[in-house]
Amino acid sequence: MGSRAKILEKIKANKPDALALPNLDLNAFDEGLNLEKEFIKKIEVVGGNVYPITSNTEALLKIKALFPNTKVNYSTLENTSEFNTVTLNDIKKPQELEDLDILVLESKLAVAENGAVWIEDSKIPLRVLPFITKHLVLVIDEKSIVPYMHQAYQKIEDFHFGVFISGPSKTADIEQSLVIGAHGALSLTVLLKK
Amino acid sequence: MKVGLFIPCYINQLYPQVGIATLELLEKLNVEVTYPSGQTCCGQPMANSGYENESIGACNNFVSNFKDFDYIVTPSGSCAYHVKKHYNIINQTHDVKNVRNNIYELCDFIVNILKIKDVGASFPYKVGVHKSCHGLRGLRLGSCSEVVGERYSSLEDLLKEVKGTELMSLKRTDECCGFGGTFAVTEEAISVKMGKDKIQDHLNNGVEVITATDTSCLMHLEGLIARNKKPLKVLHIAEILNSQYFTKVPN
Amino acid sequence: MSHPKLASIFNKDEKRVNWHDKALWFVRHKRDLSVHQVKGWETLRNLGHGIKAHTLSNLDNYLIQFEDNALKNGVQVHWAANGDEHNKIVHRILKENNAKKVVKSKSMLTEECHLNPFLEADDIEVIDTDLGERIVQLAKEPPSHIVLPAIHKNKHEVDELFQEHLGTEPCNGDPQYLTHEARKHLREKFIEADAAITGVNFAIAETGGVVVCTNEGNADMGAHLAPVHIACMGVEKIIPKQDHLGVFLRLLARSATGQPITTYSSHFKKPRKGTKMHIVIVDNGRSEQLSRPDFRASLHCIRCGACMNTCPIYRRSGGHSYDATIPGPIGSILSPGKDLKKHSTLPFASTLCGSCSDVCPVKIDIHTQLYKWRQIITKETKQPFVKKKSMAIMGNVFSKPSQFERVGKIARWSLRHLPKSIINSKPNAWGKARDLPKGPKQSFDQWYNQRQDKNE
Repeated sequence: MGSRAKILEKIKANKPDALALPNLDLNAFDEGLNLEKEFIKKIEVVGGNVYPITSNTEALLKIKALFPNTKVNYSTLENTSEFNTVTLNDIKKPQELEDLDILVLESKLAVAENGAVWIEDSKIPLRVLPFITKHLVLVIDEKSIVPYMHQAYQKIEDFHFGVFISGPSKTADIEQSLVIGAHGALSLTVLLKK
Repeated sequence: MKVGLFIPCYINQLYPQVGIATLELLEKLNVEVTYPSGQTCCGQPMANSGYENESIGACNNFVSNFKDFDYIVTPSGSCAYHVKKHYNIINQTHDVKNVRNNIYELCDFIVNILKIKDVGASFPYKVGVHKSCHGLRGLRLGSCSEVVGERYSSLEDLLKEVKGTELMSLKRTDECCGFGGTFAVTEEAISVKMGKDKIQDHLNNGVEVITATDTSCLMHLEGLIARNKKPLKVLHIAEILNSQYFTKVPN
Repeated sequence: MSHPKLASIFNKDEKRVNWHDKALWFVRHKRDLSVHQVKGWETLRNLGHGIKAHTLSNLDNYLIQFEDNALKNGVQVHWAANGDEHNKIVHRILKENNAKKVVKSKSMLTEECHLNPFLEADDIEVIDTDLGERIVQLAKEPPSHIVLPAIHKNKHEVDELFQEHLGTEPCNGDPQYLTHEARKHLREKFIEADAAITGVNFAIAETGGVVVCTNEGNADMGAHLAPVHIACMGVEKIIPKQDHLGVFLRLLARSATGQPITTYSSHFKKPRKGTKMHIVIVDNGRSEQLSRPDFRASLHCIRCGACMNTCPIYRRSGGHSYDATIPGPIGSILSPGKDLKKHSTLPFASTLCGSCSDVCPVKIDIHTQLYKWRQIITKETKQPFVKKKSMAIMGNVFSKPSQFERVGKIARWSLRHLPKSIINSKPNAWGKARDLPKGPKQSFDQWYNQRQDKNE
């Protein structure tokens, strides 16, 4: 008998009698959050920056103002192709993106309670993009903000890879001192579309 | 209302004044108290050390002493908790169930059964409350810092009404003092360090007298205070609630 | 060595104990600030507990469902009965893919299985990429905490370590500089890696996907660059539905560090184009723990580390004093199930204060389990004669009121009349740093009887 069968058999023999799965009653959590205010507050708590915008054109202007001297840029926003300095089709291996300075992505889902923004690989041609880039800019419509993780999962449908990103990468592994910029992005900017 | 008084073994032998204060306080509050003469120990010292079986004699003795009371009151959160939680090792007879159901720590009994907060005491000192863990997290005599919800404390309810007493707040409101029964001896280094840190928190916050529902914690802290000659006193909460000091007593 | 011995060694340097205690209390405090803001926090904890309890009661079926879905997603699934089999499976996958350089993100399971030395013995380079794990790896030490692996090291020690191994400049322990240098060093490793190993925080039966949570982004940097991704998980990582992630992701980071969520919560479902993804499902004693009704709830653990941060003993004895893969309160209820004798002092490394149980996001009754392990340990492992004997004598004394009175009298007299040098002499560990109370002349019993006599 292989390990699979052995493990499953042991678990079957050792597990307790069936216990019911508890119901998720979301009313217990609702505190009538002001979604936009809470989202902005939490983004700042987790070390990100938020700016209001009204259009993609304005988004690009803002990005150029915030990051004036970047060399390698990539954006998936509509009508921003002149911003891009790389063509992903030319990328043979994700390692080639090592020098990416700035990545701009659009998301359709964000969570107020923790500032998390959902990105899935239908929106990112290469999974490593939001991690390998030095600076990450996420564009969100304010209507895409849900209050809690529970509502977020109700909206997530099928994906191959997806990630909630809340703030820039960080670590506190040296004496509990918070340092922004571990292995992932060194900064996170959220542009909130009105 | 038939009330039986349980005086824990070490209080009986080493801190009789705590037992006396408890009895006097209850009598002051017009409770008719009986003190059964055959009592010894709740069995906790053996059980917490991993020798539950050796505690069965003590458990049975406890039950036979206290089975007929409506309420069993004791100046120890730890002993009350032990009876409630760990008397599942003996047969769950009607008597055993009664005893487990009817045992109350002193403050719990005064606040939640007698529904009294002002016991008419005077004690003009700066008091720091040590929230002994078994009372706090076992009997839920108060809210603890870990759990989210309404803040409350039976001990503080009572102490707030004591004339002259100023309740001092601590940096770590409910950290363990490090007594822990045989832990105090088997893990001597940590136990002592925890006690020292606890005392320092009280000193840093201007406390003159540390009080608690459990003399065991206080014995540990007092041992450290005496050895290190710290300017602090310890008193069981029954002693404060039974006090009639209108001015500070010179040391 | 036993916990008391290792703890007393740690306590020789009181300044270090203070520093360690404060660093972890700070994390516990951040947890408090964060969870007290969440409406329905206790409901979340109950749900976390309930979902895990339900899952365990149907674990075999959920594992099968998970495997089915993972296979459909194009992921290869492997089963390992123990640590050795786990290591062999990982080794085989690496060999098949010609992988010589491996980057690993935090996985307590691979620590438990001692994967690194196994692979290193065959000249495979394994680099731990979580900063804290990299620090302890360079120091050739095990992690001392499951979330903060290098919490026992101060910044100057890290400074020296990096100078020696990474060739950094002396920087007076500047965390910013050190972290930046680690980023550069590990970036190279990510770029060169032939394979990435990650742990798993949650595995979803309904979708066959796994979720990995990090703050640094190291799991993603590894998994999205290397051509092979191996995710290793214990059988207890299963949750039934994706919706349940809403509960656990709300609980996890807040309990761990006070953050509302980790920076990255990565959901892996299908391998990326042209690459392979493997999942290794490991038992290694878990099904055994499942058979113990008193202890099976220890398998609810989501590895947040909150019980360590809150534990007054852990904070003052350091993670290494537990001499176990998982230290602290949760480790003290898991480890005896694996090796009762080796870990027999751990359930006694507690005052049973209960803070661990109250802080636990999935409501494991940790302190109750510690108490229960004690009862088993005294029966099944050799105990010091003095302890055993004294407990039997005490049990006897307390069962008979007449004996209690006699012994009490002697004890009080001794405390009153014996010189301190005898009372506090060596066999009395109490007296090393603490005074004993003065023995009163009268016990409460005697006072009470006297009063009764007077009243009559």
